[in-house]
Amino acid sequence: MKTKMLICFALLIACGFGLFVFADDHEEEEMNKLVFSKETYKTMKVNNGGKISGVVKFEGEVPEKKKLAINKDPAVCGVVDKFDESLVVGENMALKNTIVYLMDITQGKDFDKDAKVELDQKECRFNPHVQIIPVGTALTVLNNDKATHNVHIFGTKKNGTSINKQQTRNRKRMKLAAAKGAEGPVEVKCDIHGWMKAWVAYVPHPYFAVTNEKGEFTLEDVPPGEYKLGYWHETCGNNNKEPVVVTVAAGGELKQDFTLKIKK
Amino acid sequence: MRTSIFVLSIIIFLLFSVIFISYAQEAPEVSERGKEVYEESCAHCHGVEGRGDGSAAKNLLPQPRDFTGGIYKIRSTASGELPTDKDLFDIISKGMPGSSMPEWESALSADDRWEVVSYIKTFYEGFKENESPPKEISLDGKIPYSEESVEIGKFFYTQFACFECHGNAGRGDGTSAPTLQDEWGFKSWPANLTENWNFRGGSSTEDIYKRFIGGIAGSAMPMFEDASFGLTIEEAQRYGQLENKVEMTDTEDEEFNTLDEKMGNAYDILDMMTEGLANEEQKQKHAEAMKIFQEKSWHITNYVKSLAPEKRPEPAIGKNALRSQYTVDTLPTIDDAAWGTLEASYFPLVGQIIVEPRQFNPTIDSVNVKSFYNDTEVAFLFIWDDRTNNTEEQENEDFGKTYEDAIAIQFPVKIPQDPTAPKPYFLWGGKKAVYLWQWKASAVNSVTELTAKGITNAEVQEVQGDIQAEGKYTDGQYRLWVKRALKTDDKKDLQIEPGVFVPIAFSVWDGANGDIDTKRVISSWYSFVLEPVPSSRRFIYPPIVALLSLGILVGLRGFVYRRNS
Ligand code: HEC
Ligand code: HEC
Repeated sequence: MKTKMLICFALLIACGFGLFVFADDHEEEEMNKLVFSKETYKTMKVNNGGKISGVVKFEGEVPEKKKLAINKDPAVCGVVDKFDESLVVGENMALKNTIVYLMDITQGKDFDKDAKVELDQKECRFNPHVQIIPVGTALTVLNNDKATHNVHIFGTKKNGTSINKQQTRNRKRMKLAAAKGAEGPVEVKCDIHGWMKAWVAYVPHPYFAVTNEKGEFTLEDVPPGEYKLGYWHETCGNNNKEPVVVTVAAGGELKQDFTLKIKK
Repeated sequence: MRTSIFVLSIIIFLLFSVIFISYAQEAPEVSERGKEVYEESCAHCHGVEGRGDGSAAKNLLPQPRDFTGGIYKIRSTASGELPTDKDLFDIISKGMPGSSMPEWESALSADDRWEVVSYIKTFYEGFKENESPPKEISLDGKIPYSEESVEIGKFFYTQFACFECHGNAGRGDGTSAPTLQDEWGFKSWPANLTENWNFRGGSSTEDIYKRFIGGIAGSAMPMFEDASFGLTIEEAQRYGQLENKVEMTDTEDEEFNTLDEKMGNAYDILDMMTEGLANEEQKQKHAEAMKIFQEKSWHITNYVKSLAPEKRPEPAIGKNALRSQYTVDTLPTIDDAAWGTLEASYFPLVGQIIVEPRQFNPTIDSVNVKSFYNDTEVAFLFIWDDRTNNTEEQENEDFGKTYEDAIAIQFPVKIPQDPTAPKPYFLWGGKKAVYLWQWKASAVNSVTELTAKGITNAEVQEVQGDIQAEGKYTDGQYRLWVKRALKTDDKKDLQIEPGVFVPIAFSVWDGANGDIDTKRVISSWYSFVLEPVPSSRRFIYPPIVALLSLGILVGLRGFVYRRNS
């Protein structure tokens, strides 16, 4: 009898282990990612949509602002002091550069067709530090420096291998081919000036916002309904595992704040 | 009751088994042979699941490729594209020099290599989705190698900003070099273009051309578009000239603006091409500009090609041993033009992996040596490439600790009787001691004499002989000049004689690569010899000796004669 019990036990453990192994495989990959619906996003006219807004704040000891060492092209790059932007905390602990978005929306308004999708290189700094790019839209990279840069957008599994293109000081603007699928955020670097870093996220729908200096975000024209509200921050991670569920009423206004800590 | 639990758990188990098996079978059909070859030959580095995490991976830099990501360095396709099957086959066949990726041409049959190509492609979805084969880089318009082409290429090497990473002389010592990382977050160094036998993807003209047109994915090395797009070669050179002028006259200013505008237009059209918006006329213009871009690129390729010798030099042993040249004059100093008349001898180096801490990822390829001697002294010029000049220990946030650069030149204390007699252990001696000259980048004008009986058992000699030294660092290269008397009074020193082959070996430390103590690059024993005095002198001596002996004989005969009488 005892042996039978033992075998039962062993078999069940084996099953559990199998599950564990399969789960583990995928979880690791989700760590640094935004969540999108598997359904293709459909655009429609949104009348009387709702609005979600809020403030993202930082909790914990604010690390001292780190000044970047400019070891290259000082005449162009060293004029203005530059600081590490991986955690920018403003007044009242406001957290800049957090992406806030709807994870599971499948239909709604179209992208703002006039919005510029530009990444500027000026005084050897990328601006903006975090930005979203509609899938299928080319990114224009500007070079406002009398220096040669290289735009290195790291590889992702969906969009294939990385992009790394030289942009010499003679080339003021350069269009990079549109990404194939929604993915990100991915790191952007200039290897020539190793301190230059930024992030871009390729997104399938327009319900995305990046927080400003005051930590504020706004998502407008949201069709009424229930949604998962997600965030991502370079240093503070994401809430992919426990998104906030919000219910948007027609013409309603909804407030949702977040408080983020440094990801361990 | 218990029996039913038992039965239930068996049922659950079977159920799960079925699910897992069917899950596993969803994967595409894999080549059985490819899998077998992979697991036998590749998995210990690249990992069973292709994640680059095999058991041998952890010490290796660059790390073995993670095949689940679709990033391949060596491609004949544009940036952002996957490699062709042929690219994969070739890189597996030839290996990646300068990294731990071995060549498999000699160990695996061509069929097996093709099988393993199909197998590694199953690790990454992207290969399946690619219906059309990736676009290959066109090799049209190749320009044959010539001095003229090299000269033009040199200009574009600067205008295209290769020097930012690869340095002015191409030794991988550009000002951006110290901060470069690969996409996996590891330190990576730009290639030393003067040692093209270490190129990952081969050193043929076509190989080099493809590398910078397509970029090296996963590394800092970008793909290139024309830095003076739309301008002819002459216009581009003129633009470069004007750009460097501190002050321009009004006509020059106008000329510059015209060229600038022409270039701006060409770039605008390029952007439209990217978006598929160009009209016929623009397409025409673009094609013309691309043709000139190709020309410029072939010139750059020829320039890069010109930086390295035709092939990797033969190591300094046997007939290639370092031969110190006799001169009657005083020996040349470090910057003397006389050094230019000698060919350097080549001493290859490898990472020290016998004693902890080890160096698995060496950054220094070799030491090159020239030497002169006269009746009393010998002078050496030791030359080696190092991408950075580190003169002290430093803590770096991104790359950890760096140390001081250094070199040690090793000789036996006693020269073995003949070339086959045992020498001291090559790692700084053992029972038999070695005699060393140690030089450090912080004290460029002195060498210290050491005696060692093992790599961790070295002593500074109490009596430091009269050795002159001078070290210089320029454009990614150290030159160390050392002069010493052929003979010394110190029993612990090496005594040097013309015509006798002397074993010589090296240890070099690249502080930026974490080299310190036993972590270093080393050579085994090679040899050098003071090339016996030129034959003209040999011709003078024998007659003198003959005359003298004749004189003695005559004198002796006279002496005997006189005594007898
Ligand atoms: C001793 C460890 C080792 C073994 C064994 C090994 N590799 Fe590699 N391999 C590497 C390393 C390290 C790299 C990365 C080199 C670099 O990035 O410069 C690499 C890179 C590669 C690449 C990428 C080439 C590119 O263009 O980026 C391929 C393909 C590859 N290996 C295939 C194989 C195959 C197939 C086998 C077995 C037949 C194999 N390797 C065995 C260490 C190994
Ligand atoms: C942003 C820095 C950077 C710039 C600019 C750059 N390179 Fe490189 N290059 C690298 C790095 C890093 C490597 C080593 C890549 C590796 O093996 O991982 C490299 C490697 C190479 C190699 C060796 C290829 C091989 O097969 O191993 C060649 C040839 C080369 N570069 C040529 C050029 C030329 C020509 C230019 C200018 C048109 C250029 N590079 C500009 C960083 C750069």
